[in-house]
Amino acid sequence: MATSSSDNSTPKGEPWVWFTSLGLIIGLTMVAGLLGLVLINGFSVFWAPEVPTVKLKDGTQIVGQFVQRRVRSNSPASDPHYERQYQIGLRELNSTSYVWVDELNIADEKFVPETLGLERMENGPAFIIPKTIVDSTGKQHPFIVPNATVDSAGKFHPIYTTAFSLIRAEVDQATYIRERVLDINQNKIGVVNAEMEEARIALRRAEDRQEPTVELTDKIKTLDAKFSELKKEAEEISKLTALGHIEGIDAKGRSVTIPFAGIVRAWEPNHMTTMDRISLMFSRMREFLLDAPREANTEGGLMPAIFGTLVMTVFMSLLVTPVGVIAAIYLKEYAKDGAVLRVVRICVNNLAGVPSIVFGVFGLGFFVYVLGGTIDQLFFSDQLKYNNNTPVFGTGGLLWCSLTLALMTLPVVIVATEEALSAVPRGMREASLAAGASKWQTIRDILLPASAPGILTGVILAMARGAGEVAPLMIVGVVKLAPTLPIDGLAPFLHLDRKFMHLGFHIYDLGFQSPDSDAARPMVFATTLLLIILVVCLNLGAITIRNRLRARFKGAAF
Amino acid sequence: MEENQKQSTEQPPESRFQVSRSTLLIDLWMGRIIRLGGISVVIAVFGMLGFLVSQIFPLFSKAKVESLAPVNFSQTGNVALGEDEYGEMPFTCDTKGNIIFRKAGDSSVTKTWLADFKTATQASDGQNAAPVSIPVTAIKTYPRDGLVLLGLADGSVRELKINYKITFDKNGKRELEPSIDLQYAGKISENNSAILEAWSVKGTEGRLYICRQQKDGHDLLTGRRLIERKGLGGKAKVTVSEPFPIAADVTDLERVLVPSTADSLLVIRKTGEVRVYQNSENTFSLLQSFKPFGDAKNAQIAAAGFIFGNVSVVFQGNQNEEVVWSLYPQKQADGQMLRRWGKIHDCETLAGVGQGIFPAAGNKCYLSVAGGRMQIRNMTNGSIRWEDSAPASPIQQVIFSRNYNRLSLLCEDGKVYRWAITDHHPEASWNTFFGKIWYEGAEGPAYTWQSSSGSDEFEAKYSLVPLIYGTVKGTFYALLFAIPIALLAAVYVSHFLRPEWKSVIKPMMEIMASLPSVVLGFLAGLWLAPLVDTHLIPILCVIGVLAPSALLAGYIWSKLPQPVRRRVGPGWEFAYLFPFIVLCAYGAWQLGPTIESTFFTVKDLASGQNISDFREWWRQSTGLNYDSRNSLVVGFVMGFAVIPIVFTIAEDALSNVPNSLISGSLALGASRWQTVWTVVVPTAVSGILSAVMIGFGRAVGETMIVVMATGNTAVMEANPFNGMRTLSANIAVELPEAAAGETHFRALFLGACCLFALTFIVNTFAETLRQRLRKRYKMN
Repeated sequence: MATSSSDNSTPKGEPWVWFTSLGLIIGLTMVAGLLGLVLINGFSVFWAPEVPTVKLKDGTQIVGQFVQRRVRSNSPASDPHYERQYQIGLRELNSTSYVWVDELNIADEKFVPETLGLERMENGPAFIIPKTIVDSTGKQHPFIVPNATVDSAGKFHPIYTTAFSLIRAEVDQATYIRERVLDINQNKIGVVNAEMEEARIALRRAEDRQEPTVELTDKIKTLDAKFSELKKEAEEISKLTALGHIEGIDAKGRSVTIPFAGIVRAWEPNHMTTMDRISLMFSRMREFLLDAPREANTEGGLMPAIFGTLVMTVFMSLLVTPVGVIAAIYLKEYAKDGAVLRVVRICVNNLAGVPSIVFGVFGLGFFVYVLGGTIDQLFFSDQLKYNNNTPVFGTGGLLWCSLTLALMTLPVVIVATEEALSAVPRGMREASLAAGASKWQTIRDILLPASAPGILTGVILAMARGAGEVAPLMIVGVVKLAPTLPIDGLAPFLHLDRKFMHLGFHIYDLGFQSPDSDAARPMVFATTLLLIILVVCLNLGAITIRNRLRARFKGAAF
Repeated sequence: MEENQKQSTEQPPESRFQVSRSTLLIDLWMGRIIRLGGISVVIAVFGMLGFLVSQIFPLFSKAKVESLAPVNFSQTGNVALGEDEYGEMPFTCDTKGNIIFRKAGDSSVTKTWLADFKTATQASDGQNAAPVSIPVTAIKTYPRDGLVLLGLADGSVRELKINYKITFDKNGKRELEPSIDLQYAGKISENNSAILEAWSVKGTEGRLYICRQQKDGHDLLTGRRLIERKGLGGKAKVTVSEPFPIAADVTDLERVLVPSTADSLLVIRKTGEVRVYQNSENTFSLLQSFKPFGDAKNAQIAAAGFIFGNVSVVFQGNQNEEVVWSLYPQKQADGQMLRRWGKIHDCETLAGVGQGIFPAAGNKCYLSVAGGRMQIRNMTNGSIRWEDSAPASPIQQVIFSRNYNRLSLLCEDGKVYRWAITDHHPEASWNTFFGKIWYEGAEGPAYTWQSSSGSDEFEAKYSLVPLIYGTVKGTFYALLFAIPIALLAAVYVSHFLRPEWKSVIKPMMEIMASLPSVVLGFLAGLWLAPLVDTHLIPILCVIGVLAPSALLAGYIWSKLPQPVRRRVGPGWEFAYLFPFIVLCAYGAWQLGPTIESTFFTVKDLASGQNISDFREWWRQSTGLNYDSRNSLVVGFVMGFAVIPIVFTIAEDALSNVPNSLISGSLALGASRWQTVWTVVVPTAVSGILSAVMIGFGRAVGETMIVVMATGNTAVMEANPFNGMRTLSANIAVELPEAAAGETHFRALFLGACCLFALTFIVNTFAETLRQRLRKRYKMN
């Protein structure tokens, strides 16, 4: 047996010890694999690879960005055939943005240096060979390839940067104008629209009550005039770029004309330096984080979803923290110990294990229909009556989402606070009471400061859970595309009744409800990456705080 | 305080030891606020449960029926009843065909219309004859269509349309003004004898009139169709078909049931046999004949009626029995599946001999009158919504209002008895949610969830059983995958891993727990499912090879000479095992295609070639479905959600086993594995059990992964390569579309309650186990 250490026998059951380590290996591999998968796929969305021109065996050719490779369905497992997916863009001509090509059909693949990539407002990107550039004044510039030199390493060194810088300047100008038009359309016209809506409701009310309506009709008339004036202004501005366009040919030799007004970004995928690619990547990331989505959410940015997630999460934590802390203080410091308290504690703990969807159901049934319905009846009966029964709070919205998630994360905060209060050494509490402090003073000056990091951990964990939760939000007020943000410049600035966008729901909606799943795929991965970064950072923060806290109390113990 | 200091030189006054009033007040108030806050949070938590339950309560309540004042049509001899949409002005027809309208409130007569049909002044022989009144011999009202059909003694019919003109007076009170228009007048049959009964139904091809007359001592049915065709100028052209005989072979006709679709006809014979005639063009051909109450001599049919939707008929017998027959696909002798009539329900026994079946207008309820009792029954689930004694005098006609909130009964004593019905969920019963029900058109009783359809006549199917089955199935596969991994990892981390690694491993697991389920679901649906679809066998090979290879590695290691083993410090096994496992997994992956082509080669039905494809093999050899989003994918991905939770709790329980036990075991010479297996694990088994249960709770409630990684079809199949629909996914998918307060909405709440109850019970049990375990260690 193991007692005789001199012999060569091994302790009994060593293979089983190795066997148990398998569990750890699988677990760690799963985490690492998942994070790796999301990281690679998420970041590669922003990367601009080289764009090949693929000649097929039937003589046609396509230009497009390689997306993925997979086994053809129905191909034998022993001898699999692969197919490749290319993003060819130019949906107005090709009718689809993505194509699958059987690898057996590919005759030849080469990288044409002149290939120009264009990210556009509509119809997906375009990969063309440009021929002529017409600038905003209507002047034509040829997009010539000058004597491209080839160095010893076989790399191209073309000198046609002048033409490309012209394109870039035109795109920048178009972008600037587009932003101005957007500003007019969204902000200025938005204000007019909001006023108009109010005036219309007021008019309907006045008509109903047979009050004078002259003032209101006048107001509506002036607003109408203002509206058309703004529309006209926007049109005037957008005319500035109407002339400029690029003429070129696509992979099939068809000539294509692409106006600058519709171009978001231009790049030359096949002769960029790595630095160019990195700066392009940052430009795309900037758009992703700061711009609004376009093309049915499959392109553009995520700003409304990020903003919505943040506002909801912060608002939720503002609701849950005081309530949770008070409940925990009550349970820990005030409630009498006994069977009832034990039952209550178990129930509160178990609430954390209740499926999130159940909270969503409760949120819809109670918050939205009962509370929201009552609020509408009491305070917005006018609005209901004169605005086609459009509910204000009687439908899903920011407030109800925050409340639902606050209820859901309440046990997290209560348990964390209770644990933190328990961790405060008994000596500190007794010393304070012995020095004549009242119970409340002890709680305020001793217990709460000492347990603050623990409470913070709980709140951060609650925020992480709230930020990543989707199922209940789907029911109580998250939408795929919200026309307005929950916070804006119109009084009362924070609009609790508005529906909003959410990162998690964005993933669900794009991944599973999008009509063009291929086009949505990169965006879903990028969104996933962002959400995971957000949640993991919050969790790491909580873990760090907790570890420090532990170390502190370890030190405090005698 | 300053005051106190000044005075402290002398004898300290009493106030020196008093706490300031404000401190006391604040303390008192903060205490109150915290108590109030704390208690209200606790109440809110319980209130949530209460609210959920309150939402499902109406589902299980019976109909509330309130008797209204009867409308008194003083004269007797009223045979037919009709009313307006609001039930404010009913009318009756007496045997002479006279129509009288009365106000529901005070029974005052508002309009009287006297039937007076005369023979044509131009007689057939060309001579003028004084017009003679033709008596009315048959009366039928169609309250839903506002039609009155009168059959006359000369074999012709008159169809009257009743219109109510609605006006509002100054106070916004509704006023009704009835009017009567003659819509159709003509002969149905070539036979000139008196019409005994007449029907008028609107089919897809035009209105169909049927009449019953007597000829040669037996009843005769004749039909005639009125076909309206839109002409070129937009003017409707009406053509009348030739009269055609119906069911001419039946000589002992007892009763005829005409569905409002006019596509078939049920003739009930005096022997208790039912003959079904199917309509095509202008002929009714015999489709089927059956005896609802068997071949016994006294198996006559006492009463019968079509149920809303026209595919089911309720029959009452004279032996207190009631059955439902319906049209559904049946296997014929030649193997064909054809829609034929068959019995689908045996209803609850009646109080006496059947006296009448009267269907509701918008759902599957009907009024069943028998033995002096009347009951509102629901055909689908067989529940009795309401029961009362029937009025003493025989019932002539029954009208359910369109939205099933009023019931009017015309009795022979000239009174219209009325009831207000409050029954929001007639289709809900315990049986509906948890029982096996034979729905219309189904081949047999089944647990089905199908909440909506395009048609009003559809029976909503709210069985929670397939959803619970799906939930259990998903949970089973998730646990099957997650529990071994989590428990192995917990054992290893708690007792074999080097302690300094713990501070890295545990946060990693916590991060795994925090991964949003929508991300997991998305990866499962869009990344893993396609991968599993094409590489199932290699993946299964890899999974299969993991455990043996780990054991093999351990065995090889234990056979190595001691100096070599010494170099591998205890607690580093996982690092050495990792490359070996990767190697083995790679080998298995490469071996996968060979295994697939060796064992799973089948003939492709489309091309006729032999292909090696597990999916096709599975379909052909088991006859079961293969979905790319299947239980295996869900199980694997749910592992991400379940593993960390189970791991954390189990690891806690294992680490908390007192050191004295471990030291004792080791001191007695047990190896570390023997110590863990025989001392630590048995001691911590209740903690491990509680970990598994909490993992179960998490898997049961998981929503987004299931929504995204399964096909969400509510099937009950144990097939691992098939999807499912879980309670939680069902709620997430359907609740946004359900209208508040409706049966569907409340059924989803019931699902939520089931989930809540299930997880709450399991978690409470687990929590109690865990606390007991903790207590035991404390004692030690």
